[in-house]
Amino acid sequence: MMKEVKIYDSLVGNLNEELKDVLIKIPLSLKGKVEEIRLKRERPLMIYFEGKDYFVSKTGNVTRDISQALIVEEKYIESTFQLISNYSPYAYLEEIKNGYITITGGHRIGIGGKVVYGINGIENIKNISSLNIRIAREKIGISDFLIPYLIKGRKDFYNTLIISPPQCGKTTLLRDIVRNLSNGMIHSNCEGFKVSLIDERSELAGMYNGVPQKDVGLRTDILDGCLKSDGIIMAIRSLSPDIIAVDEIGGKRDVEAIHEALRAGIKLIATIHGSSIHEVREKQSMREIFEEKIFGRYIVLDRSKGVGTIKELIDGSGNPIHFIKGAKNAIS
Amino acid sequence: MLFLKLISITSIFSACTILGYYYGNKYTSRYENLVCLEQCIKILETEIVYGATPLPDALTSVYKKGKPKVSYIFEEIKRDLIGNKRSFVYESFLELEAELYNGLYFKKEDVEILLSLGRVLGSSDRADQSKIFKLVLNQIGAQIEEAKMEKNQNEKLYRSLGVITGIGIIILLI
Repeated sequence: MMKEVKIYDSLVGNLNEELKDVLIKIPLSLKGKVEEIRLKRERPLMIYFEGKDYFVSKTGNVTRDISQALIVEEKYIESTFQLISNYSPYAYLEEIKNGYITITGGHRIGIGGKVVYGINGIENIKNISSLNIRIAREKIGISDFLIPYLIKGRKDFYNTLIISPPQCGKTTLLRDIVRNLSNGMIHSNCEGFKVSLIDERSELAGMYNGVPQKDVGLRTDILDGCLKSDGIIMAIRSLSPDIIAVDEIGGKRDVEAIHEALRAGIKLIATIHGSSIHEVREKQSMREIFEEKIFGRYIVLDRSKGVGTIKELIDGSGNPIHFIKGAKNAIS
Repeated sequence: MLFLKLISITSIFSACTILGYYYGNKYTSRYENLVCLEQCIKILETEIVYGATPLPDALTSVYKKGKPKVSYIFEEIKRDLIGNKRSFVYESFLELEAELYNGLYFKKEDVEILLSLGRVLGSSDRADQSKIFKLVLNQIGAQIEEAKMEKNQNEKLYRSLGVITGIGIIILLI
């Protein structure tokens, strides 16, 4: 819990002084729970946790009463943007074009404003109107109990697909699985694989100045900010991975690249938005993959017992795999 | 008595000459400092436009690579920026204004050029920053030319004036 509070406090330290002074005062018990801080120009200061948003007053009270909320002034947004971009928006332009900046600690800050188009697509975001700060929480060890179900023998791995609705912990789970696969787990007889992590949105490794801010393992190569389809091909050509890990697949080009990887004998772990295996199977781009029975394991997540509840673990033939008695089935 | 006279004459002569040299050297220093500033801004341009180095690191790089008699101001700016968690880079440039006048003998126009850089430094994309640097370097180039002319005109004038004033006062007193 203290670690979570520290993460919150250090994140808030990156914000404009006025906002910092308010957000640092919220009750200690909530600091570890906050998932998002939402700043919108001339709108109330909001935090989001446990599926609901709340307003924050000048004194740091967390309330549902909008009349008490601190109004986020234009200068708060402008100076926060200067601080999070290290006074150097030009150095983060590639990220800004994708709508976010990743800061130290791996926290991702989504940017809203006027999108400027040029000859080659999006060039910049100007007149920034909102900042959505997502607090990256690393949960080390949450996948330990899962690993034995995902590996076969010492050096083989089932292609795995994590199916989850948004905000159910799929990225957190994927990160920890990658860490375990990369480091190896002696008691699970897992030796450690060379993993190539395609981190298109800088969420998995939280790269900052070339250093991963999250533990993604000893043998993990990271292609940060790289399109999944490009990253998979690049990894096959140059990084000789045993496993490629990607977040949120679904596009046609992703599927083509996945086929390329499988042809090269590389294993795959990926996540996809969805609430059940049937729903994902119905997606046009995924149909082929299901017909070919590429995946040997499906992990389905929901929020029924908190963020990251493992609803089902299914094998490649569609049969459920039961956890041995005593194993926990929620990652949070 | 003669001894006292000699001491007084020497003191007056030295004081006037030093004063003349002091004023004359101001022109030399301004010229030399502007040349160093131009070099520092070129380093900063390289770091930002070609290296996409984050501003605080770029400022440190200028401090290390530039001529120390001017480059220290960039480290001061960085220290102020980070230390005081400034909302805008311009605020840190403003903090340095007095030093630019008193420590580097810059004129109002020179300081204004540097402050104009501070207003926009780092705030736009690299193509924009490149244009800004070109403009600022052009303006500094013009100031260097002007400072050179002033130096040539006034440096010797003030020095000679100091010596001649000293001699004049001594003649009057004798």
